[in-house]
Amino acid sequence: MSHIHRLDGLAAQPADVIGGKAHGLNELLRLGLPVPPGFVIDVAACRQFLRDGRFPDGLDEALASLGAPGVAVRSGAAVSMPGMMDTVLDVAPDRVRAAVEAVFASWHTPRATTYRELHGIPHDLGTAVIVQAMVFGDRDQRSGSGVAFSRDPSSGAPELFGEVLFGRPGTDVVGGAHATRPLADLASREPAVWAELSSALRRLERHYRDVCHVEFTYESGRLWFLQVRPGGLVGRAAVRVAVDLADERVIDRRTAVDRVSERDLRAARTPRIRTGDVLARGQGASPGVAAGRIAVTADSAARMAAAGPVVLVRPHTSPLDMHGLAAATGIVTSRGGPTSHAAVVARSMGKPAVVAAAALTVDAAAGCVRAGDRTVPEGTFITIDGTGGEVVLGDPGTTAGTEDPHLSRLLSWTDRAAPSPGSSPPGG
Amino acid sequence: MSQDTVLHTLRCIGYAELARVADACGLDEADVESHLIDLAVDGFVTREFGGWGLTEVGRAEDARRTAGELDRAGAREAVASAYQDFMVLNPELLDLSTAWHMRTADGVAVANDHADASYDALVFGRFADLDRRAGAVCADLGAALPRFNRYRVRLTKALDRARGGDLGYLADRIDSYHSVWFQLHEDLLATLGIPR
Repeated sequence: MSHIHRLDGLAAQPADVIGGKAHGLNELLRLGLPVPPGFVIDVAACRQFLRDGRFPDGLDEALASLGAPGVAVRSGAAVSMPGMMDTVLDVAPDRVRAAVEAVFASWHTPRATTYRELHGIPHDLGTAVIVQAMVFGDRDQRSGSGVAFSRDPSSGAPELFGEVLFGRPGTDVVGGAHATRPLADLASREPAVWAELSSALRRLERHYRDVCHVEFTYESGRLWFLQVRPGGLVGRAAVRVAVDLADERVIDRRTAVDRVSERDLRAARTPRIRTGDVLARGQGASPGVAAGRIAVTADSAARMAAAGPVVLVRPHTSPLDMHGLAAATGIVTSRGGPTSHAAVVARSMGKPAVVAAAALTVDAAAGCVRAGDRTVPEGTFITIDGTGGEVVLGDPGTTAGTEDPHLSRLLSWTDRAAPSPGSSPPGG
Repeated sequence: MSQDTVLHTLRCIGYAELARVADACGLDEADVESHLIDLAVDGFVTREFGGWGLTEVGRAEDARRTAGELDRAGAREAVASAYQDFMVLNPELLDLSTAWHMRTADGVAVANDHADASYDALVFGRFADLDRRAGAVCADLGAALPRFNRYRVRLTKALDRARGGDLGYLADRIDSYHSVWFQLHEDLLATLGIPR
């Protein structure tokens, strides 16, 4: 039996055979959505390779029938292990075998092993490897890449949300070195791509009966999907999506209730920022809401803190910023991620932090922060939410989960009582 | 020589009280204070924000001295190579520090309340495993430039304190394993002249 499967949306191998990412690509194809041509080498082939070094038959034939001058070689396990394994981009056909072997072998890197230990994932699962024709987000002025959510992942509100980089490849969207633009900027710059993306996300929601997010690249005005993933929202956002989908008759109320876990309900009680004038959004990296005046260097944070609370806003942090972090009431970085040094230090100090606020640029020399076309000087009062990742101008205040109308409605559909913070889940 | 060490230590740890500077240097407090005063007279360091720290002039002076040290020792290639190895371990150390603070269950990341001793033991075990692998990087660095040996001593001390039951030494304190690692990261960038 062959371990290499064409991605064509026809055969429907389950995710435990071809991995979650390839499974999603087949779903996209089944819906008639554009996916770069390619094939997947299944997880059984990886297990065999890791066991005895035997490489699956048929790679050369599969590559020849693909006929692409350059391919992307990506990992895709049955269980999501984001960022743990290798991806090799723009590989020439004669180098594909080595790239596939590198991705197989990356299953056993110590970091991936640690991840599986921490998340209770068996070590013998192995990963599938996806080989697809390259599409280039940096091909020309009419190319770009981004991520798009069918609903706001922070609040669950029914509006498209995401980030885009014009003229850049997808690796730069997650890399954090480039300031991203809000997804809505696509509407004016590439109206056809925007329209196709919006309609695809609506179709994907109906198909999965759940919120979805996609990674995409558009090359010379032509849209391609590289990944789709349903669900993944937590806390109040998960509650809102479940209630809205029930109201939209996409799912029934019982399904809505079943989709929300006790942990979501407890997370939904965490005080969150009220919607206000959002300057930027990043990832929440240390929970809690903090409000104070912007400081753009550690020294000014330490000086300004004498006169009142300060939020330190930096591209990233180094040990040289520690006195600023210590003085600040909250921390924002434009780069990094939830596992950056800044995030670790913020959590160790118990301070709310937002990281990867990629739309922000910090100009320490000019003493200001820029977000798109806006310039905000040091000293401006902002509020940050280390759960949802919002950076908001002024002090909009916070809202407790008990006031959340969606949570109240969901609870009215069930006999579950609202959990109080720190209470044990029923039966546990 | 040890004045260079004091200056460079401040470059890597940021503003710090005398005791913390001395510990990071591995030198006697009185000696360190004497060097700090000399460095302050030259305008390289300053006493502010509750501790000693580098001035902009001091930062440039350290870059000059460190580059000279690296070239005299002929160690640039060895340190650059060890930095590559360090950067393989760095994401895993950050994953582990994050796992120490936050625990993901049913897709929801919640604060690790340390009520589950088996989870904490799992995280500690992976820290210890990473530390064994970091040993090779530290040894390479120490062979290239002996001042790097101080990190091995400080990392071991933090891990031993954690092993002894004081688990805050993993990622919660200013002298935690993560903090020392963070400073080693900064040191490598500063030594090789790589912008963060």
